[in-house]
Amino acid sequence: MEKMPSPGKEEGEEGEEEEEEEEGAGPEGALGKNPFQLTAEDVYDISYVVGRDLMAIAGDSRDVATRVTQLQFKIVRVLEMLEALVNDCNVTVEELRMERDSLRKEVEGLRSEGQPPNTEEVNPGTNKVVVDLTDPNRPRFTMQELRDVLHERNKLKSQLLVAQEELQCYKSGLIPLNNSQLARRDPQALMTSPSSSKGGKQEKTVIRKLFSFRSGKRT
Amino acid sequence: MAKKTYDLLFKLLLIGDSGVGKTCVLFRFSDDAFNTTFISTIGIDFKIKTVELQGKKIKLQIWDTAGQERFHTITTSYYRGAMGIMLVYDITNGKSFENISKWLRNIDEHANEDVERMLLGNKCDMEDKRVVPKSKGEQIAREHGIRFFETSAKANINIEKAFLTLAEDILRKTPVKEPNSENVDINSGGGVTGWKSKCC
Repeated sequence: MEKMPSPGKEEGEEGEEEEEEEEGAGPEGALGKNPFQLTAEDVYDISYVVGRDLMAIAGDSRDVATRVTQLQFKIVRVLEMLEALVNDCNVTVEELRMERDSLRKEVEGLRSEGQPPNTEEVNPGTNKVVVDLTDPNRPRFTMQELRDVLHERNKLKSQLLVAQEELQCYKSGLIPLNNSQLARRDPQALMTSPSSSKGGKQEKTVIRKLFSFRSGKRT
Repeated sequence: MAKKTYDLLFKLLLIGDSGVGKTCVLFRFSDDAFNTTFISTIGIDFKIKTVELQGKKIKLQIWDTAGQERFHTITTSYYRGAMGIMLVYDITNGKSFENISKWLRNIDEHANEDVERMLLGNKCDMEDKRVVPKSKGEQIAREHGIRFFETSAKANINIEKAFLTLAEDILRKTPVKEPNSENVDINSGGGVTGWKSKCC
């Protein structure tokens, strides 16, 4: 103990430095390390340092040399045990890290999979559809909206046809310009849609209007 | 108003499974053209064609429906306005033939009682892919007392004949009257008015 302090102190100082800058601390740095961060490489460094110090002591006399040799066997044994422990510890840490990573992935997978069923739980019912709000092609209009749009499209289309027909009449000279007021009746009649009025009775009138062929005047 | 361009307006409706060729049949009749690309009809569309029968100019307003089930509520609302209905199946598609009874039931439920019906077996140019014999089409038509044609929009077989025959059948039942300034009226969807009346 008396002999060890001086190198020990040095080790300690170097150890502190080493915590700040891991690289370049030399073999002595291994002794100052946090035992839980120790690697097999550090154990070899410690072995080298101890061996070197023992050699220095053994140089003095034979009697000391014999005792040092005996001590050396014990130290080597301790270092071997340390090596085994460090290796085992590192392997275990690595195993645990891998297991943690794979579990993390599994949890993420389950979370993303688990969301749709959660929504279904919120909206139960066999006829419900879950809509992905990020899908640009998701359904988003109601049947009534589609019906209205189609109705309007068809109304405009028929107005266009009427207008084209009328234009053709003017072009071919069938309708003189001063008769234009009469000719304009048609599109106006068309504009009156049943949707702008009517209850049950009126509805009947509209349908009858569609299929009745009332006498018209031809000249 | 001398210049009425037609004497009578007939409203016809095309129904049948998706993909049997309703739009193509109509396109052949109205524009004398054919397109092989399949574009599913969205809901309902219409075309106009004026024909002359027995010295009368008859404007045919032909409604083309989507065969897809999802448009069912929209398309059935147009049955009521129709004076003639063409039920189309595809001779190369057995399922479309099997569904005829379903479509006939739709007519019974949604159309006027006196509507003229007609059955068309389309795609008759594809003899090598035929799965529905002509006799089966004739038989089911006979059972229901309706006319039947095998047609091909692609090869232009029986298309005009079918439309003119249907128009003639309607004309036969039509009291002889002149139209007034009646126009192409698209407010035919019984469903639209029906829906409106519900909320009033």
